[in-house]
Amino acid sequence: MDDLTTYAENTWCPGCGNFGIFNAFKKAVRDLEKRGIERGKIIISAGIGCHGKIVDYLKLSGLYSIHGRSMATVQGIKIANPDLKVVTFAGDGDAFGEGIAHLIFAAKRNADITVIVHDNGVYGLTTGQYTPTSEKGFRGPSTPKGSIEEPLNPLSLMLEAGATFVARGYPVKTDHLAEIFVQAIEHEGFSFVDVLQPCVSFNNTYQKYNALVEAIDHIPQTYEEAMAAAKRNDRLLVGILYKIQKPPFHKELYGNWNPVLKRVPRGERRERILKLLKI
Amino acid sequence: MKKEVFTFLVGGEAGQGVKKAGTTAARLFASMGRQIFEMDDYQSLIRGGHNFSVVSTATRQITSQYIKADLVIALDKRSYDMHKEYLTNEGIIVYNSDVVGNGKGIAVPLTTEAKNYPNPNLRVGVGAVVTLAAAIGINKENLKKIIENEYRRDVENNVAYALNIYDRIYPKIADTFTLDPGDKERSIITGNEAIAIGAAAGGLDIYFAYPMTPASSILHYFAAHDRELGITVVHPENEIAVINMAIGAIFAGARAMVGSSGGGFALMQESFSLAGMVEAPLLCILSSRPGPSTGVPTYTEQGDLRFALSQGHGDFPRIVASPGSIEEAFYLTAEMLEIVWRFQTPGILLTEKHLSESRISVDIALKKAKWAKPLLHNGGKYNRYRNTENGISPLLFPPSNELIKWDSYEHDETGITTENPDKIAQMHDKRNRKHQTLIDYMKTMHTVNVYGDKDPVIFTYGSTTMSVLEALQAGNIEGTVVQPVYLAPLPVWELDKYGHSDGIIVEQSCTGQFASLLKEKIGIVPKAIIKKYDGRPFDPSELADALKEVIHHG
Repeated sequence: MDDLTTYAENTWCPGCGNFGIFNAFKKAVRDLEKRGIERGKIIISAGIGCHGKIVDYLKLSGLYSIHGRSMATVQGIKIANPDLKVVTFAGDGDAFGEGIAHLIFAAKRNADITVIVHDNGVYGLTTGQYTPTSEKGFRGPSTPKGSIEEPLNPLSLMLEAGATFVARGYPVKTDHLAEIFVQAIEHEGFSFVDVLQPCVSFNNTYQKYNALVEAIDHIPQTYEEAMAAAKRNDRLLVGILYKIQKPPFHKELYGNWNPVLKRVPRGERRERILKLLKI
Repeated sequence: MKKEVFTFLVGGEAGQGVKKAGTTAARLFASMGRQIFEMDDYQSLIRGGHNFSVVSTATRQITSQYIKADLVIALDKRSYDMHKEYLTNEGIIVYNSDVVGNGKGIAVPLTTEAKNYPNPNLRVGVGAVVTLAAAIGINKENLKKIIENEYRRDVENNVAYALNIYDRIYPKIADTFTLDPGDKERSIITGNEAIAIGAAAGGLDIYFAYPMTPASSILHYFAAHDRELGITVVHPENEIAVINMAIGAIFAGARAMVGSSGGGFALMQESFSLAGMVEAPLLCILSSRPGPSTGVPTYTEQGDLRFALSQGHGDFPRIVASPGSIEEAFYLTAEMLEIVWRFQTPGILLTEKHLSESRISVDIALKKAKWAKPLLHNGGKYNRYRNTENGISPLLFPPSNELIKWDSYEHDETGITTENPDKIAQMHDKRNRKHQTLIDYMKTMHTVNVYGDKDPVIFTYGSTTMSVLEALQAGNIEGTVVQPVYLAPLPVWELDKYGHSDGIIVEQSCTGQFASLLKEKIGIVPKAIIKKYDGRPFDPSELADALKEVIHHG
């Protein structure tokens, strides 16, 4: 057990794509530390599903949230103390189903959070139902005749919603994924990483992804170029697909304020109320 | 003529400045050192419909509006038809003759005169204030000052219009009523403002809310005064984001609060339970309107009591309290913020439109407000859910070198997920002990208001308390009013002594939720339950009659 792993028993299936994400994230934390970001300032959250167990396994502070809501949870953490670096892991059911409103609005308002989606196209923990990113025709216990819905494209969705950092990663390429995580966490503003995660029990996509995944050779310079890269389906491009600078939500909200560290003390608060009430 | 209680009512369409006229009248009375109670009755629309604002004033504390007015100003026909029968014995109705035609009372062509200026329909409300001023003997010079202060936009035309109407109305109504000055000038605030100020005084850092009547004006107040107060205000995409952001903010150490009405609150249920599990000190404001579902958005009801008491799935301690006056709303909000932080569990301040949006003149002693302080970890290895004797585990906020884990799953002391049967039971026991510690603490607190010491005993709670107290004044009725401020845990140790009484219960729920709670907890079988559930608050005179009926014949 290393110093970023808790005593919790790991119950992911052998060969699960979550291991690659777990290892890449630990590597990213160490790289961030080398760049001066203390691990105590990296706060994590997750939704519910196999991915969420990463909060139990990672020896980092955080709040293990409920299904679909962790993207709101971490926005609250960031607003309260903008000195913290907040990251939420989410399943594709969390991010694109139950909590899609929070995801879209976090991108729209450029909330300074990082969302890492363990996108495996299946609800693993609830025994294999289809998700918002399952291929049409996907057979699971709730769609025994095959899913009749087209999948969402998470990358183009996020670009359209206003995300200022959009990336895709593949856990087999652990070092590459770790570097994406580092850049996403360092990015000031909303960063989104869709991780193509094979599920060995219910949706084993290793062969498909090994054949299709290709690292992008440069960060697209325009929105249109990014959108084209996001929509390619002959190849699955991994890497940073879009990165621009915009003021993050909390700075637009209160500039350089910090609600927790710059709290108005009791006496002064009283004075301010008296002034407001003119009594 | 002199009146102990004087009531002024202005009615008209939305967009005619009805509420503004009511507010101005209230401030005018307050400037005379008098006390006021103002209620705005408005519909869920932007233009048209029927709105009225009623202000009752006395030289003593007054806790309700009266529906029968001494002076009614009808800006439109509907107001005239609706209120012409609701006058006191000495009451006068003044109407806008341009739209009413011939009626009984005093006719003034408010619209014709307003047509000499731009936006005539917006201006007729000024005419209501002028009529009141003339009726209570305010001279032209002072009226001019009032209009200049209160109607600043397009002030010159407002003053010209006001003086013109004054000249027309004065000979007909001059000095009809004499209002004695009161003891001192007080601030006028709404219930929602009292809640907002109470939260600020209690140490609030961040307010999260999505608009929903009648809770929205808390959001508006904070948004208007965020910098002055040093409070951050966030209005995100929906109520689910609201409560989850708030829980995240609390994790980071912020005193956060959320507010909504029934529908929005229903959306927050799942995360209210999350707050119970992670032991987040989250204060929620629930301002009720008539339900079920969308119900009647801009009116009042007490139909959410059981909903508040059982908010969120699963077993965990919840704290629910409801203020019986606007003043109490201020102190109680600060106290609730303190108490949820002391016990690290979610709490609800339950109120209703009648308290949220009514206005009164108040004396507030800011120094008496509680201030929320967390129990902090004092060094060494940290366990978020340390299994303490009193059930309260100290808090630590990031950043820290210690591991801080909050977990929505059942967890061990560190905050790591568990399915171990001993640990599951251990955490339930810890939260239960915390609940017991809370009850022991509440036994040292003031949790029930008792007014009077005569028979009969009248049980009520929330905004209905205001109606009951005024009804006793209006009807000269003796009795003991028992109002539990805390509803969960219900202070049975205080209420038990009334358990044998065949009291009267007054509430605004059609199924009698409060009565059923009292029966369940202290076995009260009331002599009568007086209920009102038409969206309108009780009128004190009518309630006094109903109480007398029960007392003498029931």
